[in-house]
Amino acid sequence: MRKYLKIIFLIIILLFILRACISVDRVPGEKTADRALTSSLISYRGESLPPFKTVFKNGRDFLVARGEVGKYGGELKTSTIGEGPKTFNPWNAKDSTSSDMGSLMFDGLVSTDAYSGEVIPKMAKEIIINPNQLEYTVVLRRGMKWSDGVEITADDVIFTWKDIIFAGYGNTSMRDNLFIEGKLPSVEKIDKYTVKFRTPKPFAPFLRQLSASIAPKHILEPVVKKGKDAFFSFWDTSAEPESFVTSGAFRLKEYIPAQRVIFERNSDYYMMDKDGNKLPYLDKYIVYIVGDLNNELLKFESKEIDVLNVRGNSVARFKQMEKKGNYTIYNLGANTGTIFVVFNLNQRKDKNGKYYVPSHKQEWFNDLNFRTAVDYAIDRETIVSNILYGVGAEAFGAEGLSSIYLNEEVAKGHKRDIEKAKEYLLKSGFYYDKDGYLFDKHGRRVEFNLLTNAGNTERESIGVMIKQDLTDIGMKVNFRPIEYNSLIGKLTDSYDWDACIMGLTGSPLEPHSGRNVWASDGTLHLFNMRKSKEDMADVAPWEKEMDKIFDLGAGVIDFKSRKKYYDRYQAIIYEQKPLIYLYSPLIIIAVRNKFGNLHPTPLGGIVHNLEEIYVK
Amino acid sequence: MSILSYILKRTLQAIPLLIMVSIISFVIIKLSPVDPLAELRMNPSITAQTLEAEKQRLGLDLPVYQQYFKWAWSFLHGDLGISTSGEPVINRMMERVPNTLLLAFTTIFMSWMVGIPLGIYAAMNWRKPIDRFMTLLSSLGMAIPSFFFALLLLVFAVKTGWFPSGGLTSSNFSEMNWFMKIVDIIHHLILPTFVLFTISLAGLQRQMRGNLLDVLESDYIKMARAKGLSENKVIYKHALRNAINPMVTLLGFEFASLLSGAALTEYVFQYPGLGRLVLEAVMKSDINLVMASLMVGSIMLVMGNLIADIVLRIVDPRIGGDNA
Repeated sequence: MRKYLKIIFLIIILLFILRACISVDRVPGEKTADRALTSSLISYRGESLPPFKTVFKNGRDFLVARGEVGKYGGELKTSTIGEGPKTFNPWNAKDSTSSDMGSLMFDGLVSTDAYSGEVIPKMAKEIIINPNQLEYTVVLRRGMKWSDGVEITADDVIFTWKDIIFAGYGNTSMRDNLFIEGKLPSVEKIDKYTVKFRTPKPFAPFLRQLSASIAPKHILEPVVKKGKDAFFSFWDTSAEPESFVTSGAFRLKEYIPAQRVIFERNSDYYMMDKDGNKLPYLDKYIVYIVGDLNNELLKFESKEIDVLNVRGNSVARFKQMEKKGNYTIYNLGANTGTIFVVFNLNQRKDKNGKYYVPSHKQEWFNDLNFRTAVDYAIDRETIVSNILYGVGAEAFGAEGLSSIYLNEEVAKGHKRDIEKAKEYLLKSGFYYDKDGYLFDKHGRRVEFNLLTNAGNTERESIGVMIKQDLTDIGMKVNFRPIEYNSLIGKLTDSYDWDACIMGLTGSPLEPHSGRNVWASDGTLHLFNMRKSKEDMADVAPWEKEMDKIFDLGAGVIDFKSRKKYYDRYQAIIYEQKPLIYLYSPLIIIAVRNKFGNLHPTPLGGIVHNLEEIYVK
Repeated sequence: MSILSYILKRTLQAIPLLIMVSIISFVIIKLSPVDPLAELRMNPSITAQTLEAEKQRLGLDLPVYQQYFKWAWSFLHGDLGISTSGEPVINRMMERVPNTLLLAFTTIFMSWMVGIPLGIYAAMNWRKPIDRFMTLLSSLGMAIPSFFFALLLLVFAVKTGWFPSGGLTSSNFSEMNWFMKIVDIIHHLILPTFVLFTISLAGLQRQMRGNLLDVLESDYIKMARAKGLSENKVIYKHALRNAINPMVTLLGFEFASLLSGAALTEYVFQYPGLGRLVLEAVMKSDINLVMASLMVGSIMLVMGNLIADIVLRIVDPRIGGDNA
């Protein structure tokens, strides 16, 4: 008897311990107060600033910064996750780290206003667009200098565009995006400080493409003459920092692989503050190369870096320590990426005459009612609150929430509605058996595979939730995370997949950059990849309309007319649901409270005005 | 057989081995479903032409055996190819090799300087409390996973602020004088070295203790003791010389693991070493980089064994001669 008592006693104790554990696990879920707080963190200063002014002084056209007058000295330390830069040659850069660092050293003709998203002058003093929308006359600032003292003139601009970009040197994606109906724009020199670009047709994205870095002709011309391979390895990561001849606010001082990149100030930059002091203020800009998120976090906590991208699960904790850690948390709004569920709409056969997708599944996936039902069954609210800890926004449209072309109507979206989802399914002849399982009109159980890339814990958790959501409308989902590269192989090459959770990055400024996804012959037309001309036979009417919209949208320059086209494209995607959007994470950034003129914005991030940021 | 012809013979023997290793590694990497261009493919702004050009640049459009011969031919000519990032592999490796060697040599030096004497001491105090205590410590050292231990130390470093949170040098390193530079590097080296040291020390100490105990049991030691030799002479003159032989072999293997053994620790401490580079290369299927490091690893292993054998012939006159 006593033995039994002992066992019962032990079990009770065990239960208590277990209960304690469970309640500990539930803590993040119960902190609703914190969650509400995280999504309503201070937002950026949304007002747009007065336009830039140019002042002519000592034979030079200075660009006057708009921020307050600061003081010289100090450094700003940030970090990049991954391997670090692969090259410092901005015309070769293929990854964002390399191109960010390259364009820090080499300015372009124009840039983007981080507050309003407008195109603003940089090396160009002004840009005049002819009424025919074909000619862009660019007037350069006088007296700009390369870091070796040589003046920057129209020759450098012509050289950059003609001999590097149009000639296909370096990263050719720049040139590929410039082809307008198979033709490239042309560029000619008018005088020492004036060049004229001409596009074969009105092409709206061109203006922003003028932000490409301008190259020093006197240094790069001999390299270009040696051929593409020589250009490819020029100014790569093994180049001596002294060998760089730059135009940007900062130039490379030191690169230590896998540790850090140090940039130092360019004392002869063409910008000045309101009092006429030459910018930039900071002596150094240091970018640490860290392997993963955790290491970045450690570096911020040990005060080795000044800026941190705060992830959803740590936002609440960082917000609490804001005062003690002497930093400020900025909410920069939704990031430019989108996460979505995509169904394979491919109805064609492979070389061996076998369907890429089994024919009964084709029937489901190509049924708009089926896709709409899935859309209504997905519980975005729970995904955002459970997986993103509330640090995200539900998404419904193809353009990211930060896009200046966002279709507000589409962005409103809809609530989860299981009944509505079931109605749509019944409309198409699907039926439920007595256990609530879903069958199609031929009596086949609705069952498909949902893939995503393994290792991305966020997407893995979303997959589990979606699987559960779809079980609620009777579908059987086999959720399988697979290795990233083999997933890409399926999506872009072998086409043997049913459904997939994926993400894409977009541009908040230029919807045309998504053309490869939306055009029916696009290289990233994920939901229905077409390899050859023969594949074009079964382009759906709404896909054809999208092709037209993207041509028309690029063909007008005026923002309002473009917005109409891109509103329509977002509406089509929302109606046709080839991609079912889920959410956008918010960008939360912590920056130490020691900088002046630091105005992070959703479009520009933190260091968009690096030249006028100063240490208080 | 002279030592030179012995080296020659061993080197010739190593060639087929290296070829086998290279074929196997090459095929295994090729079998993995990892596509080195996956990242580019998912970038909306990359066109088909760019992808095609990149494929040709990396030689991915050829059949596997041709890719292998292409690789092997350039490897023989000392050209390790270019990595997927476009830099020559040799540059990327040479950036890291000195750092890894620095870490590995300090670790080996320290663990041998401490491990061998501790092993001897433990063997001489066999079954006494101090021996048991050291057994406990070394079991702990062997049982604790290196990455976990490294993480613990990292948290310690950040909380106390006594040590930097990774890396090898401080950001103002280039402005320091030579003395401060050395101090700075040592400051950064302490934690990663400590992790690797603790782990290799445990093994070494156990091994040395076991060897010495074995030898102390043998008849000639009993004989030496019976002869009335002093205990010091018995241990250091007779027992130790025999007990150290297996350790020399062990050194050969450690030499081989110099370049790759510390990958996890390097990763946690963000140490700019070869291990971290190779780990990242494998994830991205950067075949030239992975192959180069595998080959270097194999060559190091062969060389390490060769050196160990030669050293053995020197310290142990019984080995060698005609039967080698």
